[in-house]
Amino acid sequence: MPKSDSGTSFSSVSQVIRISTTKLALKEEKVKVTFILCDGKRIETEGKVGDTLLDVVVNNDLNIEGYGACEGTLTCSTCHVILKQDVYDSLPEQPSDEERDMLDLAYGLTDTSRLGCQITLTKQLDGLEVLVPETINDARS
Amino acid sequence: MRLTVVSKWPRRTWILREFSTAARISQTGDTRDTGALAPSVKTQCPSVTGSGARARSTNAILHEDIFDGSTTTVRPWEEVPGPKPLPLVGNTWRFIPYVGGYSVRHVDKVCTALWRQYGRCVRLAGLLGRPDMLFVFDAAEVERVFRSEDGTPSQTIDAFSKLLQARVEKGFFWSRGKLRRSYRSVNICIITADKPKLNNFRHGESWAVFRAKVARVVLSAGAALRYAQQVADVADDFIQRVREVRTSEMETPGDILNEIHKWSLESLGLIALDTRLGCFHAKEGKKFGKRALDRSREYIFLCVGDLELRAPWWRLYPTKTFKRYIAALDTILRCSISVNPLESIFNHLDRDSSWRGRFEGQRITLQHVDRSLKLTNSKTSLLNQLVAAAGPRVATVAALDMFLVGIDTTSNAVASILYQLSLRPEVQERLFEEISSVLQGRTLQPGDLAQMPYLKACVKEVLRMYPVVIGNGRQLTKDTIICGYNIPKGTQVIFQHYVMGNSDEYFTEASEFRPERWLSRQPGDRHHAFASLPFGYGKRMCLGRRFAELEIQTVVCKMIQAFRMSYDHELLDYHIHPMYTPDGPIRLTLVDR
Repeated sequence: MPKSDSGTSFSSVSQVIRISTTKLALKEEKVKVTFILCDGKRIETEGKVGDTLLDVVVNNDLNIEGYGACEGTLTCSTCHVILKQDVYDSLPEQPSDEERDMLDLAYGLTDTSRLGCQITLTKQLDGLEVLVPETINDARS
Repeated sequence: MRLTVVSKWPRRTWILREFSTAARISQTGDTRDTGALAPSVKTQCPSVTGSGARARSTNAILHEDIFDGSTTTVRPWEEVPGPKPLPLVGNTWRFIPYVGGYSVRHVDKVCTALWRQYGRCVRLAGLLGRPDMLFVFDAAEVERVFRSEDGTPSQTIDAFSKLLQARVEKGFFWSRGKLRRSYRSVNICIITADKPKLNNFRHGESWAVFRAKVARVVLSAGAALRYAQQVADVADDFIQRVREVRTSEMETPGDILNEIHKWSLESLGLIALDTRLGCFHAKEGKKFGKRALDRSREYIFLCVGDLELRAPWWRLYPTKTFKRYIAALDTILRCSISVNPLESIFNHLDRDSSWRGRFEGQRITLQHVDRSLKLTNSKTSLLNQLVAAAGPRVATVAALDMFLVGIDTTSNAVASILYQLSLRPEVQERLFEEISSVLQGRTLQPGDLAQMPYLKACVKEVLRMYPVVIGNGRQLTKDTIICGYNIPKGTQVIFQHYVMGNSDEYFTEASEFRPERWLSRQPGDRHHAFASLPFGYGKRMCLGRRFAELEIQTVVCKMIQAFRMSYDHELLDYHIHPMYTPDGPIRLTLVDR
């Protein structure tokens, strides 16, 4: 994280200590997430526990075109991701009616489709792999 | 009805995808002007198979023909079929009463006729003072246009923003805002009402920022849920009110829509301003009398269609209709203020000065929002959250906008739903069973509605057959290929959801009222998710959707619980008023269960 990288000042002990605790805390909270794009490209990244998949894409500046156009307000389906069956089943929350209504409009809907803005990361999801389906946008230049 | 601005998300940088696919490469070879949307190449994700086993959903499996639109030859705009405009008077003359043959009140029938006559896209050119229109009756094309706008950075059309600016400077903004609102393009009008931001509006940034701030608050999944209890209380009051005003024959006196309007306004006052307006008790409200309110509302409803579709004289000078319209808006605003006993300072307002009143209206509301904020301690109130997220000014505009837009749409939807249900006792019985089994004798609690899929399906089904707003539109921000024609930028594209929703091409047995189609589907059932979109889609989806759904579902649930409804008069036709609504009076017979 930028904070720990830049914190190379040793002027006071307390600062050093603080940096190290931050690091530890971050390590605990982070989980690995891999986005697999339709063309097979894998984007491996990290997200904080409590973040949604959409947050992960935004915070890490991931280059997935058109992803999350409505910014998590459940008015589009561009953050559509496809999960593995066991992951889909293990998620603590079923999709809400609002999410289902939008999923119905998703392109290439599957049985294990969810909207990324509605999946909140937990420790259990460490190593999560999700497939980002092709969108109609990809056909455009 | 116009959409112009689809702005990039401010929080991320848009770089072209680095990982290029075969499809991309071949695409970049296309010429720019035609290739923008031409879906010529398709690389279907191999692992994405649209299996249709989602239990309750309407599976939006893309039809291959979306990409068959791959237009080998793109025909020019001028060749799009449609009624030919005459010299000088264009096509506007067609909406002149008795002469033109196109009735403003029956645009639904006009559209159906145009579809039958000309096919899946129809050009309506030569409308005085407004851009050419393209009516689209093809759900696959609707889907393509909607999808292509996701996250597409684009600019506002200069001419359009200049027009808006001129309107604002001349003080037209409420009217224009309201007109646009009537077509559910809620968002653009909000920003037009916010004058200081207009300079930035040109590039759509301002709109996008505003929308983003407000949408996060009002469209978040839990936003409406917090109001569930209060909305249910209002619905209870509505039931009580309806019981009281019933005639000895157990029939609603006159049109039940009048009572529904009060319920709708009461609910909105609660949601937008955290204030119980007391609409059901005219005496308590004093100035907020039934008479003033009814009259004002009637004007608003009647005026919009006239102002929008007939020759736009009001743009040149304040016509009678236009004045009435503005005055009615003022009355509604003032009424909402005067019920609050603390608001006596506004009593001096000059009733007749409609022009001044319009601006005063905004000022009043700003103060009213202030007042509401002071009175409300709850941090979770929508108003408080809006202020926290976007500041008091934006919160005011948003609150006022909800307040003005949310009344007629919601109430007409409820009237239409109750009317349709009253014609179908068997549907009512099934609803009653569902509600009873969920509630088990207790009162409705927040979250219960989520257990009532049939109720939600009924609402969707009515809105499919009789969408309150019969079409939804976009103003093209760039030349776009639709239905194989090159449509120039600036054109208003209207998606004809009423026609598509009632077309057998998109829904199996479209003329049948079958809520079950929203619950599960048999293989071979036709169901195009983009054919019926009562709240729109994407970045411009109705901002009030969560609240509208909550209100509608709650009040319908309560009505079913309380009454057996029937309608014992001649069947009603629907008309544009300007919401698409039964050509009343809807006199329902309500027998207590």
